[in-house]
Parts: sequence; C-alpha cells; structure tokens
Amino acid sequence: MRAFDSPAVELDPIPEPAVVRGRAIVITSGKGGVGKTTTTANIGAALAAMGKRVVLVDADVGLRNLDIVLGLESRVKYHVLDVLEEKVTLEEALVRDKRSDNLFLLAAAQTREKEDVVTAQMKALIERLRESFEYVLIDCPAGIEMGFKNAVAGAGHAIIVCTPEVSAVRDADRVVGLLPNSWRPELIINRLRPQLVKKGKMLSVDDVNGILRLPLLGVIADEPGVIVASNKGEPLALDPASETGAAYRAIAAKLAGETVAAPAVLVAPSGGFLSRIGSFFGGRA
Amino acid sequence: MSARRIVITSGKGGVGKTTTTANLGAALAKRGLRVILVDTDIGLRNLDLVLGVEKRIVFDLVEVVEGRCQVRQALIRDKRFEALWLLPAAQTREKEAVSEAQMAQVIDELATLADYVLIDCPAGIEHGFRNAVAGAREAIVVTTPEVSAIRDADRVVGKITAAGLPLRLIVNRVRPEMVKTGDMMSVEDVCEVLQAELLGAVPDDEEVIDTTNRGEPIVLDETNRLAAIYDKIARRLGGEIVPFTNLGAPTLFGRLFTLWKAG
Repeated sequence: MRAFDSPAVELDPIPEPAVVRGRAIVITSGKGGVGKTTTTANIGAALAAMGKRVVLVDADVGLRNLDIVLGLESRVKYHVLDVLEEKVTLEEALVRDKRSDNLFLLAAAQTREKEDVVTAQMKALIERLRESFEYVLIDCPAGIEMGFKNAVAGAGHAIIVCTPEVSAVRDADRVVGLLPNSWRPELIINRLRPQLVKKGKMLSVDDVNGILRLPLLGVIADEPGVIVASNKGEPLALDPASETGAAYRAIAAKLAGETVAAPAVLVAPSGGFLSRIGSFFGGRA
Repeated sequence: MSARRIVITSGKGGVGKTTTTANLGAALAKRGLRVILVDTDIGLRNLDLVLGVEKRIVFDLVEVVEGRCQVRQALIRDKRFEALWLLPAAQTREKEAVSEAQMAQVIDELATLADYVLIDCPAGIEHGFRNAVAGAREAIVVTTPEVSAIRDADRVVGKITAAGLPLRLIVNRVRPEMVKTGDMMSVEDVCEVLQAELLGAVPDDEEVIDTTNRGEPIVLDETNRLAAIYDKIARRLGGEIVPFTNLGAPTLFGRLFTLWKAG
C-alpha cells in the first residue's frame, strides 16, 4: 500500500497547528534489555515536562512494551499497523499521556510480525509525525533485523544505549557501524554501578567510550527503583526526588540544546578492563 | 545416539539467554555430559565472549551452512571442561544468511556428536528466532520477573507451543527482598501468568556481570550460590526431581498489582 500521498489520510494537526520539522531520533542498542524502552519513556516524559511536544513511537512490533512503561497499556486501542493499513487515522491511533498534554504514544501492534511493516511506509509515517511534533522518539527493537531497519528508516539521529558489559559494548559498536555514515550518534551509558567500577568489577565510562568513542549524552546509575517504576508505569523522570530522574532530565535538556554539567559521581576511573574489552575487536570478525 | 536439542529463548533481550546457555552447558558438562552450545545470534554474537573463547574462533555457523568447512572444524572446545564445545555465530553476516531448513540440518548433525545441543536464540521473534527454533525438539523460556519481560515471554510461549515443542521456564534475576515488599513478582506468580512449568529460578547476583565480562561462567566458581543452582537445573533437565530454592513469597497487594499488570 502506498497511501501516504493520498489526501484521504491527510494528517489533522495534533494537538496544535503544525510546526516546522521536528527531530526524529531512534533509540537503539543492538543488544536487548539494556534499557532502550525505559530511556525512550524517560527522555520523552522529561522533554514533555519542558514544554516540548513529543511523540513516542514503539517500533517493536510483536513485542511492544513502551505502553507498559508509560502506564498506558489499557488506553491503547490502535497501533502503527492500523494507521499504515488505513484502518484508522493517525490522530485516532495516538494515545495521550496521563500526566502530560504534550506527550503522545503511538503503540506497536502486539499480534503482528515485523515483516508486516514496509520500510518506506514507516519512513513516511515518521515524516508526518515530524510535521506535528518537535520530537519523534523511536523505540527500536533489539537486534539488527527488519524491525531495526524499520525503526532507523525515518530517523535523522540516533541515541545508542549501552550498559557497562562487554557483550553490550560489542553489540553497540556493531549497530553504530550499521547506521548511516553521516550520523553522529550520541551515547547513554545505562545501569552503571559506581561501587563496582571502583572495585574493578565493572567497566567504567572511559572503558566503554574508549571503544565506542561517541559523544556522551549521559550516564544513568543502576537502581532497583527503575524496575519498580517500569512495573508501575511511572517514568522516574517525573519524580523530583529521584536522582535517576534528575539524570534523565539532564539528558533531555542536553538533547534540547541546553548546557548541562556531567554527573561527576558516575565518571569514576577505569577498573582495568581495557585489555579484555579491546581483545574482542582483534579477533576474527 | 541422538542428543537432546533445546532452544533457549525469551522474546525480550537482555534477560539472560546467553548467560543461561553458557552456565547450563557448563553445569551439564561438569556432570560428565557431552554438550554443544550453538550461538544463533548472527551479527550480534556474544556466547563466545561469555565463554571467553572469542580469540579462538576460526570458522562459524554460516561457513558450516555454506559448506566451507566441516561442522567438527567449526566447533571450539572449552579448555576448562571435558566435553563442552561452542559453534559460534558469524559476526559480519545477516540472519537471513541461514534458512530454517539449513539450521535444522546443522542441529541434526550436531546431535550425533553430543548428549545435549543447547541453542542460544537471539532476542525478538523475527528470522533469527525462527532459525533457532527450527532444529530444536524442546525449549527453555528465560524470563525475568518484570512485566515487560513476562509479556514478551508470553508471546514466545505461544509461538513455541504452536510449533509443538514442550517448554519449561527459567525465572532469572529474582530479587527476593523486592518480592517480599511486593515490588517484584514471585516465581510462582510468573509461572501462573505464563501457565508454564518451572525448570529453575535464579537469584540476581552482581557477580554475574563481572564473570560475564571476564569470560568465566559463574558455575566455575564453586563458592558462588549460583553454581549450585545451575547444577540443580542441569539435574532437573536430566529428569531428576530436585526441590526448588525458595526465593520469597509476595505480599497480597504486590501480588494482585503485578498480576493485574501482567494479565
């Protein structure tokens, strides 16, 4: 179906008259379970709290979770494929956040396959969203298959989420290589445990970025509160008392072009992992 | 002589498939069984890192499929165990480089060489998942007690069941103190939501990050409590009846809340 030139599916302005060209940013990692969805929800909530108009797009067709993390799972009626297949309009498919009037979710289909989404259609959909939102954040599925390709297709920028683990670093490095050459992806290091770094039992920020060499957008500490917040569907970015929430707000501010100081407490010295982490790039590809 | 062929899968990434494959394989090998681990995550392989054999890779799964080497030539023997081998995935290829039929053929061949063939599945439910399942006769679904992981596991349980494979669950990264406060689902609740039989429950242990980074499966450390837990899982897989370690019961509120969210 090549429906996007057709006036029948012309986008009604949401929620206000269109602005010029928002930024479409894909949040990706290669490895699963490093915190892409949590990161998407929190940056989105923080940007919305700053007054930006934000839409979050769940590109994980068949295994969606962004609705749970936002606490919107019972409000999802339609999904990306319903829009692409012209069953509903884009406006009908957007779910407005409970807490913010300028944060929206476009959910993924849960009972469909990633192969059902055509890359060109996805690209056109993101284009349309950019006409109405300042930020279009695309939550990418794990892996580098069709779902990854579809998630990246409409984006113009990438945020790489990586945990301080050799497997996550290797997968992140692979993903950076698959993104367009002209991009300069930014890095978020997630689930850092400073006390383990000090003991030499975890890679430090320098260890990770010594390999990836990307502009550092932020560092998030590991804390059990993140699991609780995800289960409850309440992004920590909206909790003024949470240090992790503050870190997400700082990331959002930086993304929006504000000058923010790096959280010094997390940038501890190397625990001596560099020899090991360097070694897997020397092996046979 | 034909091996058990077990795919280790989850839907959601990062819940511990690769760590489970490495540790369960090592635990079986420690019990004197011949075990072959197969990394099917073409393009994003990691099982070699977790086993610490990344520098010894010569041939990979795709080269076996393309007939550029014999299966035996591609197997890397783990020096710490009598009979533990890895068939690594290719790192610079795509999952489409291998078809389901080709994968099933490779697994059949491996099954003549071992007692257990453990297939480490990639995250997701795309081509890589279908390949990993193609050669398997049974499945282990790994999940963590988080709503998002359970929802993804539920989707995978449906697909595995539809494929006609028997399956059992490993609930990974349980934090008993969070279960007690109702901030985490209990192992029992996870099994109830997924309507699946439990094979094992593994507590969260920060040592795992370190041992994984160092390429040393945690079962090598006899003093770590996880070594005993993986050994129990290996015995259950072999048909023994082994009691489960209690990792906490939830409060009624926590239970209702998490069940409502997951359902």
